[in-house]
Amino acid sequence: MLPVIRVARATFHEAWRRRFLNGILVFAILIIGSSWLFAYLQPGAELQMVIDIGLGSIRFFGMLIAVFLGTRLVPDEMERRTIHTILAKPVSRAQFLIGKFAGGAITIAANLILMGLAFYAVFAIKAPAFVAEKPEDALIFQAMYGNIAKAILLSFFEMFLVLGIAVVASVIFTWVLSVITTFVLYFVGQMADLFQQLSDPERGAGLFARIVLGAAYRLLPHFEIFDMREAILQGIYVPWTTLAKTAGQGAAYLIVVLLIGYLVFNEREV
Amino acid sequence: MGPATSRCTYRLQNPNHHAACAHGEAVGRCWVIGLAIKTENLSKVYTHDATGRPVGLMDLSLEVEEGQIFGLLGPNGSGKTTTLKLLLGLIFPTSGSGEIFGHPLGSNAYKERIGFLPEGPYFYEHLNGIELLQFYGALFGMGGSQLNARIEELLHLVGMWDRRFIRVRNYSRGMRQRIGAAQALINDPDLLFLDELTSGLDPIGAMEMHKLLMSLRDRGKTLFLCSHLLKDMEPLCDKVIILNQGRQCEMGRVDDLLRVEGQVRLELTGVSEEFAAKLKASADEVMVRDHLTVALFGTQSAALESAQAAAAAGATIAHLGAHQRTLEEVFIAAVGGDE
Ligand SMILES: Nc1ncnc2c1ncn2[C@@H]1O[C@H](COP(=O)(O)OP(=O)(O)OP(=O)(O)O)[C@@H](O)[C@H]1O
Ligand SMILES: [Mg+2]
Repeated sequence: MLPVIRVARATFHEAWRRRFLNGILVFAILIIGSSWLFAYLQPGAELQMVIDIGLGSIRFFGMLIAVFLGTRLVPDEMERRTIHTILAKPVSRAQFLIGKFAGGAITIAANLILMGLAFYAVFAIKAPAFVAEKPEDALIFQAMYGNIAKAILLSFFEMFLVLGIAVVASVIFTWVLSVITTFVLYFVGQMADLFQQLSDPERGAGLFARIVLGAAYRLLPHFEIFDMREAILQGIYVPWTTLAKTAGQGAAYLIVVLLIGYLVFNEREV
Repeated sequence: MGPATSRCTYRLQNPNHHAACAHGEAVGRCWVIGLAIKTENLSKVYTHDATGRPVGLMDLSLEVEEGQIFGLLGPNGSGKTTTLKLLLGLIFPTSGSGEIFGHPLGSNAYKERIGFLPEGPYFYEHLNGIELLQFYGALFGMGGSQLNARIEELLHLVGMWDRRFIRVRNYSRGMRQRIGAAQALINDPDLLFLDELTSGLDPIGAMEMHKLLMSLRDRGKTLFLCSHLLKDMEPLCDKVIILNQGRQCEMGRVDDLLRVEGQVRLELTGVSEEFAAKLKASADEVMVRDHLTVALFGTQSAALESAQAAAAAGATIAHLGAHQRTLEEVFIAAVGGDE
């Protein structure tokens, strides 16, 4: 266990010094911080606009950080050859991989927390004014604070899964290919529901569509489960059990992904 | 193989030797536990070159006894680092096998007992000397005051104590090498793999490292050294293998490799071309090293005769005596002098 923690810690410290990732974070916070300015572009829907831009930015930039961090974690160790001295110590490849992932996850969590705090600050300062101008939003507004926290929490799970996919893809493919793979899985995974609809025979799907799209629906990570946008905007209460269930689904998928990564990494020359 | 009646005495010389041997294995039969490293036809073929010859390491079979200093020598690209990576399980053999302390290559079981200094070592740039050693110590489950004491001792040993707060990012080449040696020793390993230990070190640093190696040997540690610095390796190693283009072309105890029975060696400087031709005719073998001409003779009288003739021809006698080869000559003979 100690080796995993030590590798994770070193990974976090290294990752936190990556200028490119810091740049994304700063840019994200700038966008989130100015989301209320954009809100004026949508008169009458300012509240919705702030939430859309704020949470959308957290998800989008969080995803960018997860992809560009995750796909470099292991390749950097190999290119810089720091991995040689580590694997020559009593550190199994499984421990190393988990340590790298955990260090990346801590980094992502730190990034999400900073972005989340920035958004909360903007929301707390600006939202009451928007609601004052549009009293019918007052009820929804009550539910929003809690839901925003839950939405950010869901982005944690979502980004951990993106990170896991990125790390594993980077162990299997070249860097460019691993970035592409992760992006594609993320964006196609958003549309997993669409595949199910398209493969539905009652909607006229042929045998081929049923097999291929049905398989895609079952195999793809369902990133849409992490999306709470509708619930927040409509002020629907999201129970913790729903959150727990979503986290569980994400974790199950993550474990499978990491397991595949381990099997490949174990055979990989470093 | 020793006679079946005499019992293994290896353990008396080497405290690390497996205790089971005291239970009565015969001398020469306790090799299974007396060996630190053993490989059989260990091969790693990366690719084939334009002429179809395999590139990498081919059919390496070696045995390193506990307590030995073993030298893996060879020109650049001969497969030394490849061998180390195979032994450490960083890459996998295309064929053949090996064991370290009786465990298959790559297994985690022997990692507790080994240390490794890679060539041109790389470390996390954001750490300073102390943090770096704490990191590597923790990978062995070490911690607390015991680890701190060990770190202080090692930093003094490699001459990095005064520079312990400098970050790796700002290290010079030699400082990396020194901290690399310290991390390799953090767990007080029984078996040390050192790839080009003295590269990047100043002469005093290199001398200190050699002293360190001697003291480790005296404590019964096994050392596996990769180098092409033959002059450094010659007084250090008990046994060497010379690799060339991935193949083993010479192996043996250094004493045996250097010993040549009954030859007389004449070293000359200032030899004219004219006389050099004459010398080639009368000597068994003539080698030219920079300004030095080395001639070998089967008998003392032949050597004397040539020495006199040389003096008469205006050459200077630098040395005349019984012939001891240098490792460099063994190396050049084995490798064939080709680049
Ligand atoms: N990953 C690799 N892929 C393909 N070829 C490789 C790889 N690593 C090493 N080689 C080749 O294998 C051969 C042996 O390389 P190796 O690094 O083991 O040499 P070396 O003896 O350590 O050399 P040096 O003294 O320069 O350190 C070289 O021809 C090298 O080009
Ligand atoms: Mg090398």
